[in-house]
Amino acid sequence: MAIKQPADKSHFILPDLGEGVHEAELIRWRVTPGETVEEHQVIAEMETDKALVEVPSPWAGTIAKLNGNEGDVLVVGSILVEYGTGSKAGAASPPKAAKNASITAKAAEANGEREDAGTVVGSVDATLRVSDAFTRRRHDPATATRTGKALATPSVRRIARERGVDINAVAGTGRGGRVTASDVLAFTGDGNAVATPGRTAAAIPSPPPAPVTLSADGIAERIPFRGVRRKIANALDRSVKTAVHFTVVDEADVTALEAKRAEYGRVLGRKISLLPFVMTAVCRALRIHPSLNANVDDEQAEILIKGVINLGCAVDTEHGLMVPVIDEADTLSLLQLADSVGEVARSCRNRTIDRERLVGGTFTISNVGSYGGMFATPIINYPEVAILAAGRAAERVLTKNGMFYAGVILPLSLSCDHRVVDGAEGARFLNTVVKLLEDPETLLGD
Amino acid sequence: MPVKTVYETSIEHVSILDEHGKFDAKLGEGLIPDEDVVKLYEHMSVCRHYDEVAFKLQRSGRMGTYPQNMGQEAASLGAAYALQKDDWFVTCYRENAGLFWHGLPMEHVLLHWMGDERGNEIPEGCYCTPLAIPIGTQMLHAAGLAWAAKYNGENRIACTFFGDGATSEGDFHEAANFAANLDLPVVFVCQNNSWAISVPTKIQCSAPTVAQRGIAYGMPCVQVDGNDLFAMVKVIRDAAVRARDEKRPTFIEAVTYRLGDHTTADDARRYRDADEVEMWKKRDPLIRLRLFLDERKLWTTKKEEALQASAKEIVSAVVKRAEEIAEPTTNDIFDHTFAEIPPNLRVQRSTLRTHSLGQDPSPLRDTQAASAPTR
Repeated sequence: MAIKQPADKSHFILPDLGEGVHEAELIRWRVTPGETVEEHQVIAEMETDKALVEVPSPWAGTIAKLNGNEGDVLVVGSILVEYGTGSKAGAASPPKAAKNASITAKAAEANGEREDAGTVVGSVDATLRVSDAFTRRRHDPATATRTGKALATPSVRRIARERGVDINAVAGTGRGGRVTASDVLAFTGDGNAVATPGRTAAAIPSPPPAPVTLSADGIAERIPFRGVRRKIANALDRSVKTAVHFTVVDEADVTALEAKRAEYGRVLGRKISLLPFVMTAVCRALRIHPSLNANVDDEQAEILIKGVINLGCAVDTEHGLMVPVIDEADTLSLLQLADSVGEVARSCRNRTIDRERLVGGTFTISNVGSYGGMFATPIINYPEVAILAAGRAAERVLTKNGMFYAGVILPLSLSCDHRVVDGAEGARFLNTVVKLLEDPETLLGD
Repeated sequence: MPVKTVYETSIEHVSILDEHGKFDAKLGEGLIPDEDVVKLYEHMSVCRHYDEVAFKLQRSGRMGTYPQNMGQEAASLGAAYALQKDDWFVTCYRENAGLFWHGLPMEHVLLHWMGDERGNEIPEGCYCTPLAIPIGTQMLHAAGLAWAAKYNGENRIACTFFGDGATSEGDFHEAANFAANLDLPVVFVCQNNSWAISVPTKIQCSAPTVAQRGIAYGMPCVQVDGNDLFAMVKVIRDAAVRARDEKRPTFIEAVTYRLGDHTTADDARRYRDADEVEMWKKRDPLIRLRLFLDERKLWTTKKEEALQASAKEIVSAVVKRAEEIAEPTTNDIFDHTFAEIPPNLRVQRSTLRTHSLGQDPSPLRDTQAASAPTR
């Protein structure tokens, strides 16, 4: 639904950028305060939960104020941009507005060349080209040189090195922008020109810095929490602050299961990972211990015991951790589970997964062991109440009835929300999973 | 008992002006007079600009959802050009170019997407129907309109547009069955743009062409390059003659591609390959029409500049008309569906209250709507 913008064009209210979108994350401003914009000129890039979109100015005017910083999540209906007097004057009364519009049209015609370029063959190129000019930030001289490698003689570089100064961060005043010794001293506060008391600390001889480009505070890169990373952070933060975690660990002797798995591989002609076996065991164990197959509704102060088993599977992607859900996993056969896991993992990695498939889990499994490690303290996928991490299966010398034998163990770590699951019940559940994994005949029997 | 073939068929694909500007003179010469090609090119350019502006209106909160038309202009425009002005033009929502050529004032489409009912109030003498957003309804309307025309002894035909996804819906099959069995003058035009939102055609149609879906109903079926204005004009003309003179329907599959997202609420990058989009950008109907004009020396850079300037003027005037229209009254939500308003809606109109919102209108019913008891 379109939002009513003010008639006097004094400010631009963030509209619904899609259909039923309530908030959007500000990715980038494409204008700066004081800048004059045309109607339809892109002023910001924003990301909704559906798409990364460009937000154009609804009218021509002068930008007075930009509300929000890059990375902020802004609510639809809040004021995004305030305009200066430039556009206000023209819009107050209808006849004036008409006049203003025609002037704008004329101005647009005068600037026709660059906009027209996009009109015939699709807007993308032209729009991006125009706005690129606006995206370039005005650097102050001190940081301007930081982008490139500084020009300096070896002796000046040595002085900088001795004082722990990143020479690339120093503005050069010498010939052709060269960094001189006094530039370095001025930067550290040693020089006569600038004697900033706060900076003197930097002059204390420090150990030679590593030969990588670092800024004075040693930070190589500042990465704001955005997109998937922000979602992960928020979800984990909420879980740890809400659920009372406890973790119980055990090992399952999967020697027999491994033999079975190899047999499956031979018969099917393709490898089946351990994960679907663990999923099968977990489904069976959840039927026996239903209190772990639940969600917490903290607002209502209720525990919701779930009748269906929807298993979340932690998937590592280049964008970060994602947890797709396999619905009614207990109704699927081992091979269907294997196929489902492969399919959801693939669609997570190429980001085609539907949002619906990322919610509604009742229990989560993390097979962190496929990357390494033995035990873990997994964080519950809130509002679920338990999560099982499978470590790396490894060969061990084991004993049975007083005899040694070479076997394979699978380390398992179970975290539960202690508010819902008692320690004994968690241990019993884990024990059931271990028993099932150690007895493939029972596990795969019925 | 010997096995014998009882039915055999094939589907023809028609192309006249290809993406490189290569023109099949045998099929295409004399099809559209040069001066009309110029006009159609100009119209298409204005519609392209309109489309871009409409998209930005949504993004700046001046309009609701909008489905971009970019890339699909030739299919509906070719049809509108080939039809008569009093033929029914029954569209869904990606036929702006054809609608405007057929006589719908340009601000109507903007009004529609701004949520103003008056956008769907088709002016007298304009044979268009309101934009059909639910998938598939309009094909049945077209069959009905054609049936009415035939019944009244009028000479008009109905031409209806829908997407590849719509051919998977029952409505299409019902409309096709009616049209074929009752000998109705309908031209069915499927704009196959390869995607039903995010569902690719190949997973919802196992047949190699969508065109052959019409064969089952005993209709002549043809596939055409939907980005080729000349080919569109040819197949629509043939179908219109068949409809007008023989009262027989035709099914046309116009192969095209939307270069934008499904709507402003969609992000096609999530399901379409960039390579696929790049390939189709080269097949843009506007580009090849320009190549044709250049080849025939019918166009100049100067004319192009003037065209772009006037496109801007036209579209900005249209936007102004749409935005400056008087605010709709609340009665608007009651006034456009029924010729005679039913009693229960009359109560709602006079009280502006409904049961469904949990607001019982009974205290007011006695005084304001005594003569209109609710059912």
